[in-house]
Amino acid sequence: MIFNSLTFIVFFAIVLALHNMPFSWHQKKINLLIASYLFYAAWNPPFVALLWISTVVDWWAAQWMVRAKRERTRRLWMLTSVVVNLGMLGYFKYGGFLMSNFVEIAGSLGILYHPPNWDIVLPVGISFYTFATLSYTLDVYLRRSAPAGSFLNYALFVTFFPHLVAGPIMRPTELVPQFETPRRASTNQLFFGLALLTLGMFQKVVLADGFLAPVVESVYDAHGKIPGMLDSWVATLAFAGQIFCDFAGYSTSAIGVALCLGFAMPDNFRFPYGAVGFSDFWRRWHITLSSWLRDYLYIPLGGNRHGPARTYAALMGTMLLGGLWHGANWTFVVWGGLHGLYLSAERWLRARFKGFTPGRLTLLGLALLTFLLVNVTWVFFRAKTFAGAGTVLTGMSGLAAKPEPLIAAGPMIFALAIVGGLFGTHVAMRNTTLEAVLQRTPALIIGGVWTLMAFAVLVEQGQGNAFIYFAF
Amino acid sequence: MPSSISPSKARKYEIHGTHEGALPPGLRKTASDRPGQAQPVPTRDIPTQPWAKIGAVVFVLVALLLSLWEYEARTWIGLHAGDIDDSPQSWAEQRRLADSAPVAIVGDSRILFDTDLDRFQQLTGIRPIQTAIVGTNARALLASYANDPGFHGLLIVGLADLSYFRPEGVGLGEGYLKAYDKNDKPAQLSGLWIDRWLQRHLAFMDGDYRLSKWAIRFDRGLRPGTDSPYEDVWKLSETVDNRQYYMWDKIETDPFLRTHARHAWNLFKGPPLPPAIARQVVANSAEAVRRIRARGGDVIFIRPPSAPELRKVEDGRLPRAKGWDLLIAGTHAKGIHFDDLPNAQGLVIPEWSHLSRKCATVFTDAYVRRLTQLTPRLHLRADAPPPLTPADCVPRTVAAVPIAHRA
Repeated sequence: MIFNSLTFIVFFAIVLALHNMPFSWHQKKINLLIASYLFYAAWNPPFVALLWISTVVDWWAAQWMVRAKRERTRRLWMLTSVVVNLGMLGYFKYGGFLMSNFVEIAGSLGILYHPPNWDIVLPVGISFYTFATLSYTLDVYLRRSAPAGSFLNYALFVTFFPHLVAGPIMRPTELVPQFETPRRASTNQLFFGLALLTLGMFQKVVLADGFLAPVVESVYDAHGKIPGMLDSWVATLAFAGQIFCDFAGYSTSAIGVALCLGFAMPDNFRFPYGAVGFSDFWRRWHITLSSWLRDYLYIPLGGNRHGPARTYAALMGTMLLGGLWHGANWTFVVWGGLHGLYLSAERWLRARFKGFTPGRLTLLGLALLTFLLVNVTWVFFRAKTFAGAGTVLTGMSGLAAKPEPLIAAGPMIFALAIVGGLFGTHVAMRNTTLEAVLQRTPALIIGGVWTLMAFAVLVEQGQGNAFIYFAF
Repeated sequence: MPSSISPSKARKYEIHGTHEGALPPGLRKTASDRPGQAQPVPTRDIPTQPWAKIGAVVFVLVALLLSLWEYEARTWIGLHAGDIDDSPQSWAEQRRLADSAPVAIVGDSRILFDTDLDRFQQLTGIRPIQTAIVGTNARALLASYANDPGFHGLLIVGLADLSYFRPEGVGLGEGYLKAYDKNDKPAQLSGLWIDRWLQRHLAFMDGDYRLSKWAIRFDRGLRPGTDSPYEDVWKLSETVDNRQYYMWDKIETDPFLRTHARHAWNLFKGPPLPPAIARQVVANSAEAVRRIRARGGDVIFIRPPSAPELRKVEDGRLPRAKGWDLLIAGTHAKGIHFDDLPNAQGLVIPEWSHLSRKCATVFTDAYVRRLTQLTPRLHLRADAPPPLTPADCVPRTVAAVPIAHRA
């Protein structure tokens, strides 16, 4: 189920009530585990088996890793975990993609091959929980942490419903210790959690789905119509707003839901469109994924310890794979590749202009430049094909032949106002937190804004649209 | 990927878990500040505010605003509780039932609005499964039944010529068809049931009056060349159980909404359809009919009424002889055109494309009686009610007006 559904409201009310009943802590954890399996099974019950496989394999892999006396045995158990997890991910997420590429390559060599129709259904959230469980065995292998002391705590870490299907991608060391002692939200935590849940839903239901998605679709799903410069830019800016509000909305909701139950989840976004430069952007956008890739891919690939050439290669490799993580399509690889190039260029520029200290105006200009260049990458993220991306990029460059106006003025005005507001807010809040701002805001204003957001969510109703990142 | 390393001083004071009071900026670390290490329990700081009091006030205010909005929805907009929005989940529910049903209906909005399922059942003892979708090319739905080995019944294909004979594109039903397999999952079904229960009691829950749809209607064509939201099709129908559509009473009573609705049918205007397209459509349809018949099923086409004003546009682009007649001849299927039903003449079509609620019952009565003559799969019940005539639905003041102006 998804947070923006009526089913979730009923589900969450029951879970919250059970969590606040006088059960033992052990019983409450079992309740949460069952609830999490139900949460996942609501999409497609058979896929719960994948969760079980991942849980059991990684639990035992870590156990045997600790008991192993030889380094080779430890590595073997670590590889077992990696192969099982990436094997499942590879089959379900990349099976069709690999096959279609194989067919194309074979075709280009003159070999005609018609594979049977696989019809593989992608289990929702598989990329997220695979990375979460992998971090468990990898941390144990790298001796960064000890295995979980109880299977129940570990199984609950894997399945805990707030983060299960779309992150934040949690590490075992972040969550397992929280299951060791009884937790229940204080009144302040509960209501602040509900406020965060409302904010997340407002971002998703009202801004992303209600006002921004139609603008994006009118250009990116225009079925052969050619967009001009204005339409291409507005649609791409709208997508920048849509994907942020969609994904950050989910993360904010997840943090709020966990807080209502008394658990702390990490920030996944830190006003990313206020970033100055791309390394700054990736410290602010999907933080739990970028730090996962840094810790388990970039650093093992050599990081920045083996000279510039190796650093650039590690950077590009990490970003290309990061792109592929988002979807089984070459457009995502190009998206990751562009970010890799941006990061490499920035690294080179930083080394060349070491003493450069920008003033406030320059910083604002650099933030705007970063935002615009990030928007160029979003074209490849949103377009389903390179031809589609090419059409929009041609439009953005003003070179489209015989373009047609595609976005009506009303939706365009709303989209630009929302995205402009987002950019301004991110720039203004780049060095602070939402909590710090709320701390000094009068309660009357907080109540008023919270009321308006909740009312807007209810009046918008929503259509139960899935979050974009569920597909990843 | 490179990352900043938190200063050791800040790390010293780093707090893990929940913390009452907002932390100073920079003290709440994230994983991006701690490269290559086990991440500790995250920090969540709770701003010092009277959250319980704020929450209670918000709850009361939202309840008040919502009550006010519900009142406005009922009195000012004219929405009704019990008007259940149609949805892909609702359609999928009916579509699954169609596999074991003796009669199913596909098509666009005309057969959807113009069929009274209760009347159908009163006449034949059989309640058809309604799987037509607004704004959708009936060919795509016909093809989906042709590809479904589970269907062996009678398929009624209702069509508006210009929709059925359009060169390509499924229309609004594309999402319904694509999501069909996903819409039988527990999350979708439970959402459908809760949503339906709420809509029985709340009028404001209407997809046509969502905030984002409503807010952009101020744009009356500010940007030439684009589809202005004001010109879009607004709410036309109400829906009750089993996807029984009927015309929203406001369209029948509110001249502004009726005029607006008529205006929206400008989208039907265009050049005549090339004969090659009609031939292709007929060939595809014939293949679909053949496949359904091969499994023991059957197909009958129905052309519901449109008002003279709209009919003129439709005939200008695709005359009956070049569309409907070709289809019936080419598929070797039986068909019922409203032109040929005496009791379907002169019915009230408030916005030119769909029948008024009462006249939908009269049209259903007329076409079902004809159906029972065309197929042995349907029989008129011995206790069937007497036939209806246009006089049963056309107000007397309207009946006095010549047919050509009756819309």
